[in-house]
Amino acid sequence: MILRVISHVFMALSAVMLALPIVVVSGAALNSGRSMFFPPREPTLDRFYEFFVSEPVWVNAMTNSIIVAFCSAALAVLLAWPLAYGLWARGSRASKFLAGLGSMPFALPPIVFGVGLGFLWSFTGVLGSLWAGVVSHAALFVALPVVTISIGLQSIDRAHLDAAATLGATRTVAFRTVILPQTLPYTVSGFFFALVLSFNEFIVMFFVSASSYATVTLQIFNSLRNGYTPTMAVAAITFITVSIVVFAAIARWGDLPRLMGAEPAKN
Amino acid sequence: MQALELSGIYKNFGSVRAVESSNLTFAAGELTALLGPSGCGKTTLLRMIAGLEEPSGGSILLGGRDITGLAAHQRKFGMVFQNFALFPHLSVRENVVYALVISGVSKTEAMETGNRLLDLVQLSGYGDRRIGELSGGQRQRVAIARALAQEPEVFLLDEPMSALDAKLREDMQVELRLLQQRLGITTVVVTHDQREAMTMADKIVVMSQGRVEQVGPPHQIYHRPENAFVADFIGKANFFDGVIEKGGIRVGSVLLQAQAAANFLNGSPVRVACRPETPCFFQRDAAGTSLKSKVTFVRDVGAVRDIHLETEIGRMIVEYARGETDHDFRIGQELSIVLPADGLHVFPRAEQAVA
Amino acid sequence: MTLVSDTQAAVVHPKPQSARFTVSVPAVVLWTVILFLCLTPFLLVLAISFGQKIEGASWEWAFTFANYERVFVGANWPEEFTALYLQRLYYSLFYAVIAALLAILTAFPFTYLMTRLSRRAQSAWLVFILSSLSLSEVFIVMGWDVLLSNRSGLPMVFKETGLTDWLKANGYFETMREWGLANPRNVKFKTSVFATVLTMAYLVWPYAVILLYPPLSRLDRSMIEASQTMGAGPWTVMRTVILPTMRLPLLGATLLLFVFLLGVYVAVTVFAEPAKQTMAVSVYEAVRGNTLNAPFGSAQAVVLLCTAAIFLVAGQWISRKSAP
Repeated sequence: MILRVISHVFMALSAVMLALPIVVVSGAALNSGRSMFFPPREPTLDRFYEFFVSEPVWVNAMTNSIIVAFCSAALAVLLAWPLAYGLWARGSRASKFLAGLGSMPFALPPIVFGVGLGFLWSFTGVLGSLWAGVVSHAALFVALPVVTISIGLQSIDRAHLDAAATLGATRTVAFRTVILPQTLPYTVSGFFFALVLSFNEFIVMFFVSASSYATVTLQIFNSLRNGYTPTMAVAAITFITVSIVVFAAIARWGDLPRLMGAEPAKN
Repeated sequence: MQALELSGIYKNFGSVRAVESSNLTFAAGELTALLGPSGCGKTTLLRMIAGLEEPSGGSILLGGRDITGLAAHQRKFGMVFQNFALFPHLSVRENVVYALVISGVSKTEAMETGNRLLDLVQLSGYGDRRIGELSGGQRQRVAIARALAQEPEVFLLDEPMSALDAKLREDMQVELRLLQQRLGITTVVVTHDQREAMTMADKIVVMSQGRVEQVGPPHQIYHRPENAFVADFIGKANFFDGVIEKGGIRVGSVLLQAQAAANFLNGSPVRVACRPETPCFFQRDAAGTSLKSKVTFVRDVGAVRDIHLETEIGRMIVEYARGETDHDFRIGQELSIVLPADGLHVFPRAEQAVA
Repeated sequence: MTLVSDTQAAVVHPKPQSARFTVSVPAVVLWTVILFLCLTPFLLVLAISFGQKIEGASWEWAFTFANYERVFVGANWPEEFTALYLQRLYYSLFYAVIAALLAILTAFPFTYLMTRLSRRAQSAWLVFILSSLSLSEVFIVMGWDVLLSNRSGLPMVFKETGLTDWLKANGYFETMREWGLANPRNVKFKTSVFATVLTMAYLVWPYAVILLYPPLSRLDRSMIEASQTMGAGPWTVMRTVILPTMRLPLLGATLLLFVFLLGVYVAVTVFAEPAKQTMAVSVYEAVRGNTLNAPFGSAQAVVLLCTAAIFLVAGQWISRKSAP
């Protein structure tokens, strides 16, 4: 009984700790001055207007963030599919090696990968182009859709493929009518995992953008020396909202516990 | 409908021989059951027929035409899988017409066929449900309808009843058999349940350890088993080891009279099988061997009673059907039974090495 | 005839094809793309780490160990030994180890409790945790910066509630000053090891939960129930059943968090004292900061990478040794 109370208190405390900085930042966004205070002084919503409409720096940064996040997540999914499919269908040493290689950038310190990509793009002459940034993030986050798609492929009952074959489906038709639709939720989840993480990433982006453009998080990173401003807090609120909406959607339409590695639910 | 013929077909998995070279004919319009314990190669054989498994050698003929080289999707034999393998992302009707849709049949035509098939399996009105909303029995009907939609030349079922509960299983066996007879389709069913095989099949193929042990109609398999494995696997049997002696069989101190003993040379080691319903109680004049025995246990399962006996030649279980003259059995009671000479099955036995 | 043999090869059922090696155009394209994007950056860093800086300009290819020498023994060696960069590496390890352990120790009981909730509740928690996980380091540092800064946040709370006075009255204040957690007037958390480690632990805490979630949610419940029927109380169950089976996942998760923390940049620059910065910070400074010495930055990146690799390989080795 006492243990139960302790458990609940511990979980509640964890939740408070986890939420604390987020709450503080959200509050600070209401400040009317240029400084971050908590609780906010003379609360106002002006900073939201600045961030979304009136300040070109932030509006541009937001546009870049959106372009990079969507395009790189899409590219990551396109790259991840053959990797995950190779792992599942063949499971050979070569396909394992290739998938391992694909997840290396995500597993190692991003600052090293960022430095390396900076060199790579400067040699190929595209350093500072937005598309180099998109490709960089796709490479960094390809590991995420590989994982989710692999989980999806593993959940396919091989008997379904046999059934499709006895019903006249060729390999291609079975892929289109059985494998793709059954793994769709996992593909979409992988896409959004990559999207959200790309949205928030800035270190790799810092090295590959070469100061010729900025995403929102990179813009904040660049102005770090001048201190934080309440407008940045608005960005923080926006980003946390996007994350919560995306993950709540995945939880609503997909099986989040299963994606995170729990056993399949018993129905 | 065409007959299906397997000639010299075998399958190796690595160094393991999963199916020994077999020749089998599945007559047109008949239902054949592949029966055997798990791991006997019956499913592998079925998968080779479907084209899901490539045989290591031999050939498969359909109506005299060699189809060994055809992939599963070219044979298009309808197949019902153990857990039905229904597509969870499609509705009931979409599952049923899957084969038609991917082969380019028009939507309206597919829709019509789908409804007709759902009628056939008594699921009209369920077309728009999701697979997850169906019960086990309904799922099986959908799986059957789906396999039949493409009007296959051969209909294959892999343990179709194993996912159903016992009561439903009995009903579905009869229903499936009636459907198959109505359509007159050449059908192969894999099962490990001898009761199921005997309910449905025109012909049973008994398999063990990758080998075909016996092929024949159900009554023949039951009443004239060709070897000890079949006698043991199909129905129940009491076994005794003995040696042929003077036209009978010597088991311990008793010489059993058996008609089948005439087929063996004097002195050859044999195994005797006796079905539980064969021995007679209280009929001293029956032709056969009389044995003294003692009741050790009585199992009353309603319609019949299993009497466990300790006899001169070993333990045996004898079935006593409740007749007009009911008899009382008590543990410890001594009685004599008669093993009829024409009711014993005799099989050759490999001589065990004597140390 | 060819048609038949072709289709025969196209068996729908995917099988392991270990012996046969087929080369197809899409496969070549995929290999090229992955090698180019995921391997060449690391190879370039390695190659450039042997290059040399041109004064006032950029750098050139070379094959010199000077950059590594500078990392390990200082630029003026053998006349003079400086451990400046070794110290940075030390702080990288120091922060990463403490923060990783702190995160794992608090995340483990939390995750265990979470896996015992209903699947719906687990989903809700996962949404919360994943949102926090994906939240950019800049925002997290921003939040803690507000919380820990001297003009607002915790120091103000300490002062307003009289906690500062209480600390002073009971002599704890002096201890806190010794630890660098107070100035003459009030407690202060910026800049301190405490703030750095706290923020870093916070950064990886959701990762810790996500990493421990699969093994804990797959933990065989009947095993726990079995030990309960044999008279084990909650603590005994934890000690004799759960912890032993979780040993490897715990080690693996700690190592991954540790490697992740080696690369943390913003939290260190904001919260760590100038003398206690990490190698990730000096990589950044060398490559894009004031010094602009790409080869030297690369050499430090390689050292960082090797440190990460050594720990990951050691973890692999331990888990393989203790696996049955």
